[in-house]
Amino acid sequence: MLLIHCPYCEETLPEAEFAYAGEAHIARPADPMALSDEEWRDFLFIRSNPRGTHFERWRHLHGCGRFFNAVRDTVTDKFQMTYKAGLPRPDLSAMKEAAE
Amino acid sequence: MSRYRIPGKGRIDHARPVRFTFDGRVIEGRQGDTVASALLASGIHLMGRSFKYHRPRGVVSAGSEEPNALIGTQRGGPDRFEPNTRATMQEVWDGLTTESQNKWPSLAFDLGAINDRLYMLFSAGFYYKTFMWPKAFWDKVYEPFIRRAAGLGRSPALPDPDHYASRNLHCDVLIVGAGPAGLAAALSAARAGAQVVLVDEHAEMGGTLLSEPQLRIDGAGAWDWLAATLAELSALPNVRLMSRTTAIGYYHENMVGLCQRLTDHLASPPADAPRERLWRVRAKQVVLAQGAIEKPLVFDGNDRPGVMLSGAAQTFLHRFGVKVGDRPVVVTVHDSAWHTAFDLAAAGMKVAAIVDLRNDVAPALVQQARTLGIEPLPGHTVTGTTGRLRVASVRVAAVSGSQVASGRRIACDALLMCGGWTPSLHLFSHTKGSLRWDAETGAFLPDRKTEACQIAGAGRGLWGVAAALDDGAKAGALAASAAGRVAGAGTFAVSGDRPGRGVVVRELPTDGNPGRAKAFVDYQNDVTAKDIRLAVREGMRSIEHVKRYTTNGMATDQGKLSNINGLMIASEALQKPAPEVGLTTFRPPYTPTSFGALAGYHKDDHFEVTRRTPIDAWADAQGAVFEPVALWRRARYFPRAGEDMHKAVARECRAVRSAVGMFDASTLGKIEVVGPDAATFLERMYTNPWAKLQPGRCRYGLLLGEDGFIRDDGVIGRLADDRFHVTTTTGGAARVLNMMEDYLQTEWPDLNVWLTSTTEQWAVVALQGPNARKLLEPLVEGLDLSDAAFPHMAVAECTVAGFLARLFRVSFTGELGFEINVPARHGRALWDLLWQAGQAHGVTAYGTEAMHVLRAEKGFIIVGQDTDGTVTPQDAGLTWAIGKAKPDFVGKRSLMRPDIVARGRKQLVGLLTDDPATVLEEGAQIVADPSKPLPMRMIGHVTSSYWSEALGRSIAMALIEDGHDLQGKTLHVPMEGRTIAARVSGVTFYDPEGQRLKV
Amino acid sequence: MTTHDREFRAAGVTVGELAPRLRFSLRLRPDNLPQARLALGLDLPEKIGGLVTAGQRRALCLGPDEWMLDCAEGDRPALPAGLPHALVEVTDREVTWRISGPRAAELLSIGIARDLAALSPGKGCRTAFGSVQAVLLREGEDSFTLSVWRSFASHVAGLLAIGQRELACGL
Ligand SMILES: [Zn+2]
Repeated sequence: MLLIHCPYCEETLPEAEFAYAGEAHIARPADPMALSDEEWRDFLFIRSNPRGTHFERWRHLHGCGRFFNAVRDTVTDKFQMTYKAGLPRPDLSAMKEAAE
Repeated sequence: MSRYRIPGKGRIDHARPVRFTFDGRVIEGRQGDTVASALLASGIHLMGRSFKYHRPRGVVSAGSEEPNALIGTQRGGPDRFEPNTRATMQEVWDGLTTESQNKWPSLAFDLGAINDRLYMLFSAGFYYKTFMWPKAFWDKVYEPFIRRAAGLGRSPALPDPDHYASRNLHCDVLIVGAGPAGLAAALSAARAGAQVVLVDEHAEMGGTLLSEPQLRIDGAGAWDWLAATLAELSALPNVRLMSRTTAIGYYHENMVGLCQRLTDHLASPPADAPRERLWRVRAKQVVLAQGAIEKPLVFDGNDRPGVMLSGAAQTFLHRFGVKVGDRPVVVTVHDSAWHTAFDLAAAGMKVAAIVDLRNDVAPALVQQARTLGIEPLPGHTVTGTTGRLRVASVRVAAVSGSQVASGRRIACDALLMCGGWTPSLHLFSHTKGSLRWDAETGAFLPDRKTEACQIAGAGRGLWGVAAALDDGAKAGALAASAAGRVAGAGTFAVSGDRPGRGVVVRELPTDGNPGRAKAFVDYQNDVTAKDIRLAVREGMRSIEHVKRYTTNGMATDQGKLSNINGLMIASEALQKPAPEVGLTTFRPPYTPTSFGALAGYHKDDHFEVTRRTPIDAWADAQGAVFEPVALWRRARYFPRAGEDMHKAVARECRAVRSAVGMFDASTLGKIEVVGPDAATFLERMYTNPWAKLQPGRCRYGLLLGEDGFIRDDGVIGRLADDRFHVTTTTGGAARVLNMMEDYLQTEWPDLNVWLTSTTEQWAVVALQGPNARKLLEPLVEGLDLSDAAFPHMAVAECTVAGFLARLFRVSFTGELGFEINVPARHGRALWDLLWQAGQAHGVTAYGTEAMHVLRAEKGFIIVGQDTDGTVTPQDAGLTWAIGKAKPDFVGKRSLMRPDIVARGRKQLVGLLTDDPATVLEEGAQIVADPSKPLPMRMIGHVTSSYWSEALGRSIAMALIEDGHDLQGKTLHVPMEGRTIAARVSGVTFYDPEGQRLKV
Repeated sequence: MTTHDREFRAAGVTVGELAPRLRFSLRLRPDNLPQARLALGLDLPEKIGGLVTAGQRRALCLGPDEWMLDCAEGDRPALPAGLPHALVEVTDREVTWRISGPRAAELLSIGIARDLAALSPGKGCRTAFGSVQAVLLREGEDSFTLSVWRSFASHVAGLLAIGQRELACGL
């Protein structure tokens, strides 16, 4: 069972309190009716499903109730970071450099 | 009776005899014995029959790695039976009943042993080869044969009466294994003030120290040091010691599952005591101090009862005071077995010989053997054994280079083998930690870690107690420091340590034909060296394939004894070095774990949450029949004496259509949507328009997913400009709230609106039927209930029977109807008052089944029954519920997707059978032309089907391809033995004009 | 002393259902906190888990824009109409127990995966007891309140009773 850091509660808590909520940074288009069938299809169904770093959403369901974003490695299942909903996709290479 | 017990020796209580039975025979053991040690003390080695060949088998080990001595245990009544218990782990107590397994008619004479004669038939891959065809033989011949012939103990037939507990635990340092390394780690971490949990799977902590009493640590005897250490640790408030506790799995983020056995060793456990407890431990740091497991040697006849690991013999001697025989022979490739032989000789056993494949055995060992009257045979091999139910002799031969000289027999009653030691890597492997091959020790050692853990002692290839203590102390200090404590590692002065060294072998060399040898690698699954070579010959290249083809390592012991030997043999056959062949994956649990422990409290009444409404107890008292709906239990119907479901539902439906029915609608999901942007939010979420809905009015709401498919529906009432009372389906409540929160938080965080679940704030009673108003009116204060003042789809706050209420005028039946919401604590009182007042108006309680019939008569859908997640509003005939003028709502864009507007979609229609008495089966498939050959093309299926009491005939709803174009057409429902003809109709079967609402 | 009392005494923890207390779910944006504090006479905590009491009113911060507001019977807390907020009564939604005694935290650990040592007295949180959502409040070192939705109460109460018997049996 994973431990997940909730960026709102600022606590690292057992996975049992959280629910997975799909890939992150897929914003609902402002005007869906203006989209072509293909664009709308991509928004609905096409996901990156990477091996490795994945930007994804979780909800602290049995906690503060907030949806938030996480960066998790799909191979090791390790979380690299979590951040609040609405924040931009973090620049991981810059973070890595900063850490080094 | 216990001829093999040495008076006064060992850690058992010689003054406390314990009687138990084995296959009906009374065995006397001592308090502290395991079943295995007590049987050995009585001279019994034969403890079971093997899985495939039914070969007689004796105990091999003294621990949880035991592959052979699996027994059935009966603790008290017949319902406390457990198969496949390790005789080496089960402690004895007065009255324990045990039985051997996999034998018929008796352990000593077993008919199944014919399989042993058919040895060639049962070689590697026999499942795949032998039983391929003919297909029809599988059910009737092969499977019953395999089931009878193979397999371990019998399954318990009765429900388990015991209860099982579970607990969450958090600590700084969890130490797995309380041998020297684990104890030293615990001392370092505990003295540093860390919260320490130390667990060991055995009844007694100490590990190797229990079998090495000659050791002296810091000037004290090993056992005195152990006692003092345990006393120090147990006196510390920050230390928790748990024996009989197995770490079964090591999961993400340092979560370790522990299974603690609480009562299996007790003759009379306290009432209410759980049998086992599953601990979910979250540790900042884990110290794995699990030690090493001795490897068997692979040679012809290495599975006869009496052939066992040398370390096991040492444990039985020192811990239990048991001689495993009068005249053992030792065969080894490692020094440790020499020391075992010396201990056995010192205890009075006549060790006939020590056979060691190595030529260069340390002269001191050879000398000591001679001194003790043991014949040392360096440079020798074992080429076979004799003895049917117990080993009687061993054939030994000198080896020079690749030549094996002709051998000679040595009589013996036990053969103690040692193929060296292999670190216990199981838990470490659960974490996907990588391993590296250490050529010097010939073992895989832990390498790259993925979790915050330390590995100490023999678990990382350090042999000897001194090394284990020092390494453990360092590991404990490292762990405590990493957990934020200031820690140091103590040092230990050890004398009498016997670490020893050894070599790695595949099989012992032989002068015989290896193709005929019964040299077992995996005792439990009856896999021989020959099987592994055959698998490679037949094309298996990966060790994972070899494992599955031969089943090596796939038994309940997960190859604790067999994996490395299997790997070495496979690597030779593949002509690849061992590290390139690699090890198969260990998976949790470390040892077999009872289902009870894993289920924990999830049994009987607590198997799953059962949600009950405030009115549930009334329904129960009325004899209602309940059905589960999501986690709720709901009254399905209220049978009177002599009524079956059909009759009860017909009566309930008649009552609603002719008088008034009462229905507990409390389970309906409710969400209070509040804030200045409430209407805007609902405009975006639901298909319907909300902006112009006046306070005091309700509207049916339809919720789609972004894919355009129906997700939920319900009536939504506007209480004020900024306040809506949203209802959802019973099963959809949580899902809908989650979906709304998702959009609100992540797509439209600018909206000033908040969502609160009020499902359980309100108890809801529905009154439906022509007499509903007459019943309700006298109880209502503050509201005019007339049709003009309070029309259909109105909502108001008022008091009902003195309780503050939210009153809805709504109908899910087509009759005049009200839904009364009162604070949940008053739900039962309201129900009782309405029930009382309703007697004058013919009130009848109805359940979910009648509710389903009544709504189907009106063609109202049930989301999840008439829709399946692929149904659009167009498909369901609900385009009227779409706000055409709205620029956007969730799912709107998808309603124009090519697939959604294409022909051929399944559409919801009514279905009337030609024979009005025939009620179709829900789920039945529908075809256009039943005269077509099989398989026929199915064009749809029945989603709802009932007997309609109001119409005096059956009615059904169905999803059918282009069904809206098929009005009046006759379709067919093929059933077993007959085909039912039915005509496509509209879905509103009853009162299509809705006249009955206009009252 | 009944058998039950003895059992519970042996368990080192008592579980008692509390009479319903007027309870609201209060929602508003954190930037509107100053006005809300003024209106309620309550220093609504901004940090999740924070608890504040003033007179008969008590608020526990459950989320960045969410407070559990408990009041005395008859109290009618109100916020200015112009201040965007939601105030929804949930008194009847929940059942609350007080769980107290030296082994209270141990009893809770049969269902709660969180590290209870990290929840100091005067703090609370929404969490899960087994599969059931719950609000846990630590009143003191050895005293907690646990609230669950009404229909889950019999399930959770049953588990707590099993846990008490387990603690009492000494194994
Ligand atoms: Zn949170």
